[in-house]
Formats: sequence, structure tokens, C-alpha cells
Amino acid sequence: MDFDWLFLVEIFLAGLGAGGLYALTALAFVLIYKATRVVNLAIGEMLMIGAYLCFGLATAMNLPMWLAIVVAVIASGMAGAVLERVAIRPMLGESPIAVFMVTVGLASILVGVVELVWTSEPRRLPEFMPNTPVMIGEAFVPPKVFYGFLVAAALIAVALTVFRFWRGGVALRATASDQQTAYSMGINVPRVFSLSWTVAAMIAAIAGVIVGAVGGISSTMGVFGLSVLVVVIVGGLDSVLGALVAGLFIGVVESLAGGYLGGEYKLLATFLILIVVLMVRPYGLFGTHEIERL
Amino acid sequence: MRIGTARSSYRHDEALFDSRTQYAWLAILGVALLGFPFVADEYWLYLACLVAINIASATGLNILTGYTGLVSLGQAAFMGIGAYTVAAFEQKFGTPVLLNLLAGGFVAMLGGLVVGLPSLRVKGLYLAISTIAASVVLHFVFANWHSVTGGHSGITVAPAEILGISFDTSFRLYWLFVPITIMMVIGAANLFRTRIGRAFIAIRDRDISAEVLGIPLLRYKLLSFGLSSFYAGVAGGMWAYFFRVVTPESFPLLMSIFFLAAIIVGGMGTILGAILGAIFMTMVPEALKLIVGWLPLSTDATLILSPVRTIVFGALIVGFLVFEPLGLQEIWRRIRRFFHLWPFRA
Amino acid sequence: MRRTVLKSLLATAVMAATATMAGLPAAYAADKEIVIGGSIPMSGVFAFAGIGIHAGIQDYVRMVNDAGGVEGYRLRYVPEDSAYAVDQSVAAFKKITSQNKVNFYYGDSTAFSKTINPELERAGSMIMSGASFATELNDPEKFPFQFIAGPDYTQQFGILLRYIADEKPGARVAFVYSDTEFGRDPIASSREVAQSLGLEVAIEIMTPPGAVDVSTEMARLRRARADYTIFHGYILGPIPEFISQARQLRLDTQFMGTFWTMDNSTVMQMGELADGFMGVMPYSYYYDDSTSAPMLDKIREMRPEYQSVPYIQGFLSAMLYAETARRTIAAGQEMTAVNLKTALNSIENFDTGGLIGVPITISGNTIPVGRIYRADIQAKRMVPASDWIVLE
Repeated sequence: MDFDWLFLVEIFLAGLGAGGLYALTALAFVLIYKATRVVNLAIGEMLMIGAYLCFGLATAMNLPMWLAIVVAVIASGMAGAVLERVAIRPMLGESPIAVFMVTVGLASILVGVVELVWTSEPRRLPEFMPNTPVMIGEAFVPPKVFYGFLVAAALIAVALTVFRFWRGGVALRATASDQQTAYSMGINVPRVFSLSWTVAAMIAAIAGVIVGAVGGISSTMGVFGLSVLVVVIVGGLDSVLGALVAGLFIGVVESLAGGYLGGEYKLLATFLILIVVLMVRPYGLFGTHEIERL
Repeated sequence: MRIGTARSSYRHDEALFDSRTQYAWLAILGVALLGFPFVADEYWLYLACLVAINIASATGLNILTGYTGLVSLGQAAFMGIGAYTVAAFEQKFGTPVLLNLLAGGFVAMLGGLVVGLPSLRVKGLYLAISTIAASVVLHFVFANWHSVTGGHSGITVAPAEILGISFDTSFRLYWLFVPITIMMVIGAANLFRTRIGRAFIAIRDRDISAEVLGIPLLRYKLLSFGLSSFYAGVAGGMWAYFFRVVTPESFPLLMSIFFLAAIIVGGMGTILGAILGAIFMTMVPEALKLIVGWLPLSTDATLILSPVRTIVFGALIVGFLVFEPLGLQEIWRRIRRFFHLWPFRA
Repeated sequence: MRRTVLKSLLATAVMAATATMAGLPAAYAADKEIVIGGSIPMSGVFAFAGIGIHAGIQDYVRMVNDAGGVEGYRLRYVPEDSAYAVDQSVAAFKKITSQNKVNFYYGDSTAFSKTINPELERAGSMIMSGASFATELNDPEKFPFQFIAGPDYTQQFGILLRYIADEKPGARVAFVYSDTEFGRDPIASSREVAQSLGLEVAIEIMTPPGAVDVSTEMARLRRARADYTIFHGYILGPIPEFISQARQLRLDTQFMGTFWTMDNSTVMQMGELADGFMGVMPYSYYYDDSTSAPMLDKIREMRPEYQSVPYIQGFLSAMLYAETARRTIAAGQEMTAVNLKTALNSIENFDTGGLIGVPITISGNTIPVGRIYRADIQAKRMVPASDWIVLE
């Protein structure tokens, strides 16, 4: 039998599509990590909150979809700021592991809140993306995946530009590279913390809306965060470039594993890559290698 | 006010329990544990068994996380190894119960040693995440190694049988589980009076310093992983005899988080902490059920139970970390001190 | 310092009080009663089903008691929330059975049934059914005191495949299922059923739980060129996305589902995409008025708004409990597990009052009956697409 090249191309493109979403979410993750050194396990749940807010606004309050998305993103940003202030700020100076566990607890609280308000029944977001199939050459790309990828790419580009040139972005990068020096140079570090959580929550909300549009929303959609965790570790926790490259890479690997081996191999493949990376390059492909001193 | 625990020898200083009062309380606790099965009904015995299993596993995790400072989110997966080993031994060889439990512990220990290998290169959060990876891989093995694990439908376990007595009720299992758990807890308590245990603590406090002091890091970190997984394996074995069916979905990641939460809430790095935490976290859902049942809400109050439980679970983790990082055992200690010093200081 | 101590003391006291209260067995004396216990998933991921099941059992019990009970015995329903977690379901079981003399039990999951069945054999005083349709439970040798108030998953596939074989002999079918115990349950056995019916299983696709994007799976499904695609192991999950992509690709395959997907509200959540979606349903829908159905009339009288299919399942379960008890009492026998199960298996050509459109016979542990329905999105209803199909 001839090798089905078209199949490979389609699977590859699907993988890139999913990878774009991983990259976007990983960007939110890295943002928080760079500014506050918090490994945020609740990132998947922040996605979920964004998607549910959008769902609630669009169905219960009958807002048009675009407005619902905008309001949901702003509301998520505020929720992010509140979470940072209430649960993360008091942990300043505690061991990273304690802070990590706080985010685990937060994840559980967010799931509970969603189930309380919207029940645990799976829902569907109203359709808002174009429905005409997209063909790249002969390969079929599902429109949601295609436009999702475009949105993710555009957003990543905007975010990168902003952090390059905007004052807040510069402050954030300064804080990331050396907190104490940044403080002494007159940068309001607590505000940077707050800012990073706000922006990360907003990015996560957009990712959540796209993920929800593709696969539906439910209180268990936070598991998406597990794959993102792999992405950031592989890419290097503090590397934006790493998040983007690893996001696409993991997306393609998952897709290939699913296409040629079967659905049960998807998670296995990504986590095997994680183990290999941890053994060979524990600080990730592009991460900073920290030298420990006594 | 209680006074007069002057220590006159090193032996006395190192003793697990140092005063008569403590022995008296221990005796009361012992009598209570002996008498409990005769006054409690099946439901309370069921919960007692579940608590015993959870204490065993939480104590194991405490050795690794609380005492050695290596965070693991793989405790449930190690319990899974133990449970599957026990189930497979029981089904394929029909070997004696205690041997199966030991085998469960040892196989889990081997698993722990393998998973612990990265611990020399990575630590802290990276290690925690590599244990998540291990759980995912183990879940895959459980679900797909049909000839041993029975695939997704899992293995049904025959009731434990010792000397012709079939341990098929919670009442009987209580007499099996509680002594095992007590032995495991005493073992853990004694561990930290030995060189090994102290080495663990040194590694937790500053691993590079520990190495300088002549503690071989890899060996002790692996040992800690191994011991912790042994505890998990035995606890998983008891779990298998308790629920009598082992499936890949029996040991989710959430269960690992549960154990981590238990030692955080109870108090990391203390024996009492793991015990209190395991009891507390096991009883919270049942207590919530009662409380929600009492609230003057409409009859459908149970509908909000599960989300409330999820929120409370998360809030307990966050709340204890933020407000009482030393956990329940610290609260307990404060209460004790209050009575020791009463009425002179309050 | 003092405040903290007092607070802790108070907390301890409350905990202790809670413990004592709960430990007291409920005082009751009525011996002429039939007790139905239940670990019902009223909250958690399976809540939508649990709520329906709960209401169904409750309504039937009330209805029977209002009409004077069963042979002079009153039915008593003792539910407890299980949150769809095995340890909590078992805790509920222990609590309910230690405080009541239970005759029938409703369980919430396959794992629960497998855990509790040995208990049933030991107790020898009750039989159980539940929300699981697992093929494994349909084995009277291994699970003598278990039954399923409907066809097991393999039988549901069997009914679908039988329909397909009649419609289009030699058709190619695809199985798409989730990587869970629930999803994998009927796949291997249904492969054989399909072969014996002369159908070709073109492809079997397993999707990981919580899968977001199904493009990869779709690329495989498209190449299989199946005439029929059967989804199993989902409530709704990725099904709409599959259908949506299939529409965009103009794929000519008929999508089908099994019981847990087939509730009216679940299917209608798909909106436009639901049009023409088919599936197997062992019961009549709430609004079915094609034939005379006195029980459905009563349900509609009690509850004027739509009731889900889990409601019907709960209602039917309670009806079968009551009928089993009636037969046991009428035969002058004690209500032991063996006698109850014998009475249950003596149910032959039993009229369910229209809950199932044909008289039912409980062979083994299941009721192997079902009907194919098709979604009509104009009417927002599921309409019959076949007659009742009884597997032998």
C-alpha cells in the first residue's frame, strides 16, 4: 500500500493547530512564571473560567458573542488580579513548592465554583467562527482549528510586541531578570506581579474561548493544563521562545501519536518526551540554566 | 500544670514517648481502638478502615515530602502498583495475604526507585512534574497490559483469607488494617531516630550541605523514594482487599493531590501531622454531607454538595498554606500546651 | 492565643457532636416495608443522570404507596448522594444498609457494582441494579444478584447493528469510543456481533478522555469510508465536533449513539448538528404518545415538564423492584436475595405500561430490548426510526 502523504500532512496541520493553542496558553504560564516565579498549575482552570464566563454572558445575558468574549476576557483579567492578591501575594517568600500547592488548591476551588454556578453538565459555546472548510492544497483543515491558530498566532505577536516596547512590559522583564534590582530602580514590583496575573488570565481566557469553541466546555476541561505543563517544561519555564516552539512541537507529536498509534498514546507520548527532557536538559530546551550555590 | 519531665539520660531524651502521662493517653487510645469495632456500626467501621489505609499512605508520602523535601504527585500511582500486585498475586498464585501485601510494597518500592532516579538531576517542582509523568505512564500500563492487569475492566480481588477466616466485612478488615497501619506508623516514627531518618531531614533542610557532611545524596533520595513507595504499595494492597476491584481509574491524579493535601493540612514533617491530616481529609466529605443535610435549604440541597466539597477541598489547601503552614498538628500542640500551662498562662 | 485555642476546641466539639449524631441508627419499627436503598450520583460529573434517576424512583415509590403499597407492604426509598466516586458510594451503601433492612439497591457505577456484589452474596438479603449498563455485569454466574434495567452496552450495539444490517446489508461501520472503561466496554464483543451480521467494521477509533481537538481522529475516520459511525463512551463530548467536521467534508456517514448520549436535551444541545442523529434507546421518551402508555400518562400528570431518560430508567427500576417484591410475597416466600432474583427472572412478557413499548422478559441480568430513534430538530424531539427490536 502506498504511503498516504495527504494523511500525514493533514495530521501535521491538525497538530500545528492544537500546538498554537498550547503555545498561547504556555505564553500565559511563562508570563506568570517570569514575573512571580510561581508555577501555576491552575492555568487550565483559568482557561475554563474564561470559557464559562463567555458562555454565561452569551447565553444567560444574551450578549452578542463578540461582546461576550470581550467582557469575559476583561472579567477574567480582574479575577486573575484578585487571585494574585488574595492567594499568591501572602505566599511571597514561601518555598516554591508551597506556592505551587496553593495553585493546586486554587484549581480545585475554580472547578467547584464552575460546577456550583453552571453544574457539571458539559456545554457548548455558541458558534461564532466561520463554518466553511479550509483547504490548504488538498489537505482539509477544520475551520475552527485554522482560525483558532490564526487568533493564537496574532495574539502571541501582539503580546511579544507589547512586552518589547510598552513600559509595563519593560518593567516586567526587568522584574523577571532581577527582582531586587528592579525594586531599587523604582519599579513597583507588586504592581508588576498584579499586572502579570491580569494579563496572563486574559490570555488564558482567550485560549479558553477557542478551546471551548473547538471541543465544548466542561468542568473537566482543565486537564488541557496538563499538556501545557509539559510544553513549558520542555520549552524551559522562563522562555517565551521555548513556550512557542515547544507548544507547536508537542501539538504535532500528540497528533502524530494519535494518528498513527491511537488515541491512548497521545498523553503517553507527550509525557515520555517530558521524562526524556527532564533527564537530559532539566531546565528545558531554551530555559535558563541556574547554577546552585551554597 | 504539668511539670517534671527532666531528662536524665540520652536514651530518655531520644525516646518516642517520654512521660507517664503520654503512656496513659496511649493506653486510653489503645483501649478505644480495641473497643471501637464493638460499638460502631458497619458505616463507621468502613470509614475507620478507609482512614487506616489513608494514614498508611499519607505517612509514606510524609517520609518523602515532609521529611526529605521531595514533592511527589505520584503517590496514587504507587498505590496502584501495590493494588495491582496484590490483585495479581491473589488471582494467579493465591499466596497468603500478608505475603501479598509485602509483595505489593516491594514492587511499588521498585517502581519508586525507578521514578526516583531523576531526583538527582532535578528537584523541587521539576521533580513533582516528573512524578506526574510517572503517573501518566503507569496509568497507561495499567490500562493496556491486559495479561496482568485485565485492561480497563481491571481485576476483581477475592476476600483476604488468613487461617481460614475470610476478611469480608469491615469489622474483620479493621482487625487486619489497623494493626498494619499502627506498625507502619511506629516504623516511620522510629525511622527518624536513626541515621537514615536524620539524613533525610538533613537533605530536606539543605541538600548541598548534607552532601558536604558526607551523606550520599542519590542513595538517600532513592531510599526515601523507595520507602515512601513501599508504604504506598502496602496501602494500595489494603485498598485492593478493601474495595475488591482494581481498575486503572481507581487511582487518579486527584488521589495523589488528596494525599499531598492531607499532609499539608495535617502538618508536613511530623508523624502526627500525617495521621491527623489523613483522618481530617477522609472525614471532611462525610461531615459536609451531614452539615449540608442540616442546613435549612430546600430538599435539593444535595445538588450543591459536590461543588461545595470541591471548593472546600481547595480552600483547605490554600487556607492551611496561607494561615497555618504547620498544619493541624500545630493546632493540636497549642491545645496541649494550653492544658499543660493551665491555669498559669493562657 | 486564647482565641485560637477556644476556636479549635469549639471545632473539635462540633466534630464530635457530628460524629455522635451520625452514629445513632435511625429508629424505626415498621416491619411491613420494602426498602430501596440507593447510592445516587446527585452531584458530581454524573449529576444530570442522578437527579433524573432520583426523581424517577421517588415518584414511583410515592405512586405505589398512595395506591396502598405492594401486597400491604409500604415501599421506602433511602437515597444518599454518591458524587459518582466509588469510595463515597460504598460509604453510602454501608451507611444505608447498616441502618435499614434493605431489599433493593440502586448503584451508580460499574466499579461500585463490582465492589458491592460480593457483599450482596454475603448478606444474601438484597439484589441490586443501577446506572451501569456494563456488559461484564450481564453474567448471572459471576454477578448472581445484579440486574440491568435495560440492554447492556453490547446489546445496545447489537440493536444498532441489527438495524444497520436490515437497512443496508454488508454496510461498513466505524466505532468511535473513549479511552475509559465505559468506552471500551462493548467494542471487542461488538466486533464479533458485526461480523456475524455480515457487517464490516471499517475502523475503531479510540479518543483520549478530555480530548479537545478531534481533527486527527477525523482524518482517520474519513479514510475509513464508513456508512455508519457509532459513538460510545461519551455523554456529548467530542460528538458535535465530529459531526461538524463531517458536514464540512460532506462525509456520507450516519452518526449514531448509545443510551447516555440519547437523552432529548443532550442531543438537542448539538443544535443544527443534531439533525438526523440516530441512536438506540431502550425506553419510550417522556413525550411519546404514539401508543397508549398509561405509565407515561401518569408521569406526565405528576410532572408536566419534560423528564429525562434517566428519570424513566429510575422509574422503571423502581417498578421492577416492586414487581419482584410482589411476586416474592405472593409466593409466600421470604425476601432473600435468592428468592428475589428468582422472582425477578420469572418476569415474562411483563407490561411496563408503555415505558418500554413491548412486553419485557428478563433473561439473565438484562432486558435486551431497544428501539432506534432519529433526532428531528424542527420538533426538537427524538422520533422512532424503527420498531422495537428484541434480541434473543
